[in-house]
Order: sequence, then C-alpha cells, then structure tokens
Amino acid sequence: MNASSLPIWTVDVIGSVCMIVLSILCLHVAWQLQHRDRSNIIWTYLFWVCTALTVFAVSRSAGHILKQILIIGGNDATWTAIRPFSSAVNSFTFVIVASFTLFFERTWSIYQQISSDKQDLQAARDKLLYLNQNLENLVSERTAELALSEHKYRRIFEVSRDMLLVAEKSGQIIDINPSGREMLSLPGTGPSSDYLKVQDFFLDPSGWQPILQIIETDGFIANAEIELRRKDDSRIRTLLTGSLDRGSVDNDDTIHFLVKDIEQHRLSEEQIAQADKLASIGQLSAGIAHEINNPLGIILGYTQLLIRHEDPQTEKHQDLKTIEKHVRNCKTIVEDLLNFARTSSPKENQIRIDEALDEVVKFVHQHAALDHVKIERNYDPSVPRMLLDEKKIKQVFMNLIMNARHAVDNHGTLSLSTEFRPAERRVAIRFADTGHGISKKNLSRIFDPFFTTKPTGEGTGLGLSVSYGIIKNHGGDISVESKVGEGSIFTITMPVVSPQKGYQNAKRHSHRR
Amino acid sequence: MLCRLMPVLAMISFTADNALATQGHGHPAGLYAHQMAHVFFMFSMGLLIFWLRHRGLIRSAGWRYIQYASLFFILWNADAFLVHFIEEQSTALDITRLSTWKISLKAPPEMQWLGYVYYVTKLDHLLCVPALLFLYIGLKRLLRESFDQSGGIG
Repeated sequence: MNASSLPIWTVDVIGSVCMIVLSILCLHVAWQLQHRDRSNIIWTYLFWVCTALTVFAVSRSAGHILKQILIIGGNDATWTAIRPFSSAVNSFTFVIVASFTLFFERTWSIYQQISSDKQDLQAARDKLLYLNQNLENLVSERTAELALSEHKYRRIFEVSRDMLLVAEKSGQIIDINPSGREMLSLPGTGPSSDYLKVQDFFLDPSGWQPILQIIETDGFIANAEIELRRKDDSRIRTLLTGSLDRGSVDNDDTIHFLVKDIEQHRLSEEQIAQADKLASIGQLSAGIAHEINNPLGIILGYTQLLIRHEDPQTEKHQDLKTIEKHVRNCKTIVEDLLNFARTSSPKENQIRIDEALDEVVKFVHQHAALDHVKIERNYDPSVPRMLLDEKKIKQVFMNLIMNARHAVDNHGTLSLSTEFRPAERRVAIRFADTGHGISKKNLSRIFDPFFTTKPTGEGTGLGLSVSYGIIKNHGGDISVESKVGEGSIFTITMPVVSPQKGYQNAKRHSHRR
Repeated sequence: MLCRLMPVLAMISFTADNALATQGHGHPAGLYAHQMAHVFFMFSMGLLIFWLRHRGLIRSAGWRYIQYASLFFILWNADAFLVHFIEEQSTALDITRLSTWKISLKAPPEMQWLGYVYYVTKLDHLLCVPALLFLYIGLKRLLRESFDQSGGIG
C-alpha cells in the first residue's frame, strides 16, 4: 500500500521539538529542586536522571530533525552516514537513564536513613538548646522537686509507727527511724557512732545469718518472725521484712528493713487462747461437779444419819466421822469448781474495795503468819463504792494475798493498790509481791484448775481458778506479770456497775471486749 | 584541544577496519545493542513503578505523575522496539520511499495489517512526549510540595 509520510514527518518534527523543550523544562525544575535543598539526595538523584534524559532527548530529537531535513533536502546519503552515530548516542543516553533509575530504591533508603538521622539530630539539637537556655531554671525546679521528695520520704521515715532501718550487709546500722529507736530502747543519738549491728538486737544472734542468706538469694525476706532484745533487756516479738538495695558501682549494697512490733498482738492472741481454754475447762468442770454434787449430798446425809444413831465412843462412829470429813472436802472442791465455772449468780452488795482489802488483810493477820511480810497500801480515794458479791470478792483477795505470802516465803513486801479509771469506768486492783516470781512456762497455766507448784497436800490448785471464775462472773479481768526472782503483779480490773444495771450487763460487756 | 581531537576521533570511528586483535562488530551488532538498550530502559522503568508503589510514594501527586511518565516510557520503548524490528530485522514488510511525502509499504497478502501497524508505531512521539510531559508535571508538583512541607519531599 502507498501512504502519505506527512503525518509521520509532522509528528516526528513537532514531537522532537516538544521533547527538547520538555526535557529542558524538566531539567530546570530538577535543578530548582536540587538548588532548594542541596543536601537532599533524592533531589540530586532526580537532577542527574533529568540531565541524562535531557541529553537523550536533545540528541535523539536533534537527530530526528536533522534526518527529516536531510531527507527533504535529498541528502539521504549524508543521513545514512550520520545515522549510526546518532543511534549509538541514543542507545548510550537511555542506557544511562535506565542505569540511574535502577538505583532509585537504594537512593530512597539512604534518603530515609539520612532523614531519620537528621530528625534525631535536630531533636537532640533542640533539646540541647532548650537545656542550655533553661538549665538554671531546670536545675532549680529539679532541686525543689528533690527537696520535696526528700522531705516527703523523710517524713514517712520519721513518722512511721513501725521500725524502718537501713543496714549494710554486715548488719551495721546506717539509719534508723525514731520508732525503731523507741522499739529498741535506743537513745536519740545516731547509731552509726555506736557501731550497732542489727544482729546485736536478735535474741538469738544465730538467726541473722539465715535471714541474710535469704535476702542475698531472693533479694528480699517477708514477714519473718523474730524475737528482739531491747537495750533494757526486755524482749519483743516482731515481724521482719527486708529487701536488698543493690548499690551502684560506687556504693555498697544495703538492706532496707521494716520491723513491725507484734508483741501486743501476740499477747492478745495468747490471752484469747487462755480465756478459751479456761472457758472450755469451766464447762467441763461444771458438768462433772453437778453430777458429783448430788451423790455427795446423799452420801453426806446418810453418813450424818448413821452418826446420829451411833455411840460416839465406838470405832464405827470415828470411821463415819472420817467419811463425813472427806465428803465435806469433796463438796468444797466441787463448790470451788462451780465457782470457777461461774454457774451461780453473784449476790449484789454495795461495798468499798479498800475496806474489803483491809478486812481480808486483818483476817489473814489473825490466822496466818504475816509478821515478816511488809504490807504497803496505796488506795485511790476516788474509787467509788462498787456493786459486788462481797463474800466471793473477799475470797479472791484472800487467795491472792495467801499466794503472795507463799511467794515471798514470809519475808518480803506485798503492795496493795487501787486505781479508778474514769474513762473506762473501771477499777484496777493490784497485788504486787517481791517473791520468787513465776516462770514463763507456768505463767500460761496458773489459772488452770488443779495446777499448783505447791507440794502435794498443801494446795488443791483451785485458788486462782476460782478467783478467775469469780472475777469473770463480775464482768472483770485478771492478769499477771511476773519475772523470776523479782516478783509478780496480779491485776484485777472490775467494771464500776450502777445498781440498776447489775452484773449481767457488765458480764455481757466484758465478753464483748 | 578537544576541538582538535574531535576530527581525529571521528575519522578513526568512521574509517576503522577490522583489527586482528579484537572482535569485529558488523552492522547488526549496533541494532542489537540498541534494541537491548530499549529492553533495559523498559525494565528499569518497570522497576521504578514497582518501587514507587511498594514504598507508597504514589500517595504523593508528584511521584504519581512520575509513575505515569514511567508507564509512557515503557510504552514508547515497546513501540520503538517494534518499529526497529519491522524496519530492520523483519523482511515481511518492504518499505520504499516513493517521493518526499509518499511511502510504499508492501506486505504479503496475509499480512497486510503489518503496514498499518508500522504506520501507527512510527508515530512514537505520541508516547514519549506525554512521558516527558508527565515527568515535568510530577517534578513541578514535587517542587510545590517541597515548598508546602519545608524539608519534605512529599
């Protein structure tokens, strides 16, 4: 087929001119981009790509225009000579463009890395600039914050009711709070000057090493029950919690201890356990006593009936008398047990405690040797008259005074004192002796029925049990403090009861306590 | 200096004969190299499109236009490759200049369409000019975006 070459010629020539113009425009914009930010590798990359493209476009388009001019001018031979050169230049330039393009991804990655680093540097620079401009203010603010923080934690340290203690791993005390000093009966001066060690306060110093081992292994120890010896040699039971603070390169490790005084808590637990034990024994005793009381009454009745019809001179009469005596002893014991079990309601009389005490002391003076026992009286005149079963209360006083006399072995001092506590509406009565005291193992058993340290035949072991029962029956409490070799203090606290309310209310109140 | 050397270099290039120590390059070698260059250009433009899309750069209008430019360059390369093939490697079409503004395209009867294909593909500037136009628009957009977002490139 034959065709006009005019469209081809037109598109070729106009297109070539457009190529030259557009490539130069592209190069110009790329140059503007690069000129705007010379450090931007992407703009530099685009500039080089556009440069190669411009070279390609110019060489190719110039070649095409030249070709068309030469052909129209009838110089085909000239074009044939030039053509390979033009074609080679074209090939060469777009290979260069293609080669540049291959590196786009790598260039982009580098650009991103540079951008990221640049942003980091910019942020660091901004921060440094800010710090430089505000250093003084920042230091002031930070110092104030630190001072506030120091004050806050210092206050926690100082006002804590538990012992807070910082020690070295050797046990050397670095710092201790006021509660800790109070707990250990330490003077107010710094312990570091005294070179005190934590283990010095352990009742059993060998307990320190295992604790240290646990702290070093686990980094902490929680709620270890430790008995401490105070400076005044008294003992307290504590819960010890400690954690290891691993120091920085320049500082040694330290251990931070929190020590909680649980002595009162333990004493309360022991008292509750003791009260529960005695209540259980009381119930058992009451049951047995009731069962034995009736047969004993019958035995006593029949024995007395037989005695009445028997000649007093006969041996049989003597035997019956012996039976009667022992049955009466048994009844006394049973009655004591019933008193301990608090089964009978007290008879209510308005009495004065100090008068009752004096009457008992006078009675004991008359019937027992109290010549070498010094009796000190310190009665609180504000103690009001109290609603009590006079006979039973006197029995309690008698038991305690006789026990004190036995404890001082007839040579010592017995102090009797009363104290009215208006806030609690209670009266405390103290019997303090300078006797041999009670050992710790016996202390928890002294109110148990039939427990006695006296030789067989000298005591039934019911005196304190009965006293305990009577006091409890009046809504009161009885407690004892004792040190072997120094003496004992029995303290009775009784509620001041108005005649309208009576004992039952007081008892209920006492049980709730 | 360069001006003096140029005629010498041209003479050496155009009148060079076979050297015994080197391999000779006949007429087809230049054509093959040129065709390979077109293929290489196509490949590099395809790769550029892939990375622009993979990196998510086409969200920016500037790079999106550069993507279109790459696409038109691929089409232009394919077009140019085909024209060179028909003109210089295939014997199916006989192209003869009849006069200044007339050409004869003779193909076997079963391949008459080849004449039309050749005629259309000869208008290759309809592809490479839009390619450069898109590149120009893309660069302008990048420049504007760099003004809008100081320090960024869109």
